[in-house]
Amino acid sequence: MPPEISQHLGQVSAGAGIGLSVVGMGLGVGLIFASAIQSVARQPEMAKQLTTLMYIGMALVEGMALLGVVFCYLALKG
Amino acid sequence: MNSNFDLNEYIMHHVLNSHEWLLPFVSPIPLPGVLTSHALMVLFGCTIILLLFLVFYRKNERVPTGLTNCLEALIVFVRDEVAIPNLGEKDGLQFTPMLCTIFFFILTLNLMGLIPLFSTATANINVTFSLAFLIFVLLVFGTLLRNGLKGLIPFFIIIEIASILVRSVALMIRLFANMIAGHMVIMSFLGLIILFGWVAFPAIFLAVFMYCLEVFIALLQAYIFILLSAVFIGQMYHPDH
Repeated sequence: MPPEISQHLGQVSAGAGIGLSVVGMGLGVGLIFASAIQSVARQPEMAKQLTTLMYIGMALVEGMALLGVVFCYLALKG
Repeated sequence: MNSNFDLNEYIMHHVLNSHEWLLPFVSPIPLPGVLTSHALMVLFGCTIILLLFLVFYRKNERVPTGLTNCLEALIVFVRDEVAIPNLGEKDGLQFTPMLCTIFFFILTLNLMGLIPLFSTATANINVTFSLAFLIFVLLVFGTLLRNGLKGLIPFFIIIEIASILVRSVALMIRLFANMIAGHMVIMSFLGLIILFGWVAFPAIFLAVFMYCLEVFIALLQAYIFILLSAVFIGQMYHPDH
């Protein structure tokens, strides 16, 4: 494979990696918020505890996905 | 389209650490020796926290007003919402000062990154590593002191230490990635303006929107960091429930 094609392939795959990370993050955070909203609608008195749990879950999902985004960006740069 | 402009270079220049202090409207000030811009920001952040709590915090007021009230609300929030529910009554009160210190440190550095004069020190993995290392040391040696060796042997000591290591690394990566990603998004929106000229004018509104989101994320990440630290410490200190 000529070197310029492999370099472009690397850039394309790094960009696709950013997109895939964001798809995963969107799915995960969407599921978490959806179930939190449903639970609060069923039991409004649990809202305070559920908000804390929701933020923990959101941070856990988002952190790993953002790691993917940042590392893909660094790969794109190199 | 401005073809001489390198968007990557522009973003990295604004996000990464450097040996000069970047200022708006004037040329950057070179910093001496080992001092980098993020180290300078950490020093500034510590100065701000010390000033806030030693000078502006009026301890003798019976009914707190103004800035004292604001700071006290945050401290009571950390104590009642984070420390005591996760660590129990006695340990929670003991750990509140440490959690408050980490909370205000991260919050100050995160919010300082949004002011054009300063740069974000928490978008540097070395800073977040040292914060997470504190938690790691506390989780290992605190549990050893508190529960003895049996605190670390629910499974095997190596697996236990590996799980502590993974949690601390996740803490480190989360704060770092969140802060650096937000700033990279803002910088790429602003870079579009330099790249395309007047056509990219609406990018300003996107950048302002991201900026507002960043203020929320700055608060949220400081909260999440101490919340997860408290949860992990609570799990290690009280393994039976």
